[in-house]
Amino acid sequence: MGTLTGALPLPAFGSRVTVKTRVDYQNSQEGALVRRAQSGDEAAFREIVEHYQSKVFSIIHGIVRQRNDVEDIAQQVFAKVYFSLRNFDFRSSLITWIYKITVNECFDYLRKKKVRKLVYESDLSEDEVRRVENTEPSVDRTTPADESLARHDYVLKLLARVSEEERNLLMLKEVEGHSVEELAEMTGMNENTIKVKLFRARQKLVKAAQRLDRAPGMVAG
Amino acid sequence: MHQVILDRLEQHLSGSPCSREFTAHLESCEECRAEVQQMKELSGVLFTLRAPEALTPSAGFYAQVARRVEAERPRSLWSFVWLEPAFGKRVAFASLMTLAILGSYLITRETEYSAGPPRPEVIMAQQSPADNPDMILATLASYEP
Repeated sequence: MGTLTGALPLPAFGSRVTVKTRVDYQNSQEGALVRRAQSGDEAAFREIVEHYQSKVFSIIHGIVRQRNDVEDIAQQVFAKVYFSLRNFDFRSSLITWIYKITVNECFDYLRKKKVRKLVYESDLSEDEVRRVENTEPSVDRTTPADESLARHDYVLKLLARVSEEERNLLMLKEVEGHSVEELAEMTGMNENTIKVKLFRARQKLVKAAQRLDRAPGMVAG
Repeated sequence: MHQVILDRLEQHLSGSPCSREFTAHLESCEECRAEVQQMKELSGVLFTLRAPEALTPSAGFYAQVARRVEAERPRSLWSFVWLEPAFGKRVAFASLMTLAILGSYLITRETEYSAGPPRPEVIMAQQSPADNPDMILATLASYEP
């Protein structure tokens, strides 16, 4: 696997080159709202929050699965949106940009949570660790009994092994169900670039899965 | 992976029907078939990241966001002094102490200066006439009250 693809530095997808005109987000209704928020209009920022809060909650809930933490992470996401909005350059749609911030925030949360758990466990004896693991909710276990949770855990481990951009593209395609054409519009890249990036991301996932499957105690789902 | 598969890979993984050429190649090329199969499996697993149910944000969600924004807003030194009463009190106390020390130092200096140069009797007492009478005369002549 990957012998032929390895020799292709940048595969040319499709005999016909599909290059769509970039969507002019800056002059859209949403663009006007963003510009108002960028100039410090609190009402415009509030409109953005209220428009996208349900979507952000849904993305976080899908990745983190801890209902109690969803609202806290969502607050952090919108605080980041507030402070970075001045740097938003309209190269992509606002939701693509917010999606990226949300996914990064979730993975950051999971990474911090894992570090906290490791630090906590390093202070305990083996027996204590075993006892704590048995009393924690199944989501936090290394080998969850529930198959769906095990698969969820496995996917997060795989996605942690690709770049931020690849992770976002894969999630927008596979989790959100966007087509390549839609992704091109949303990100401001052309369709061929999207296809190349997705293909490379998938190759990395396959390799990561092979490594994880070789590791003991992993459930491929 | 061969070009014919690369061209239609995303379409195939999305479940859309692909060209006869694509299907025929996939049937004949074992390597492409295996790789596409692995990608298809992972594509299905990624779907587990969909939210199991819709969560509704609480009514006061925006207010919470606004509070967090305020809490994380970078502060100037002045706002820090005003918003942190304990720190402000310490700064005020330190300023008052500095003023008091500086004030008492200046007052002491002022007292010393107002005392003026030593009186002739003092000079005469300090310098014995036997030592140098001309010096005493010169000092007294140049004395300005």
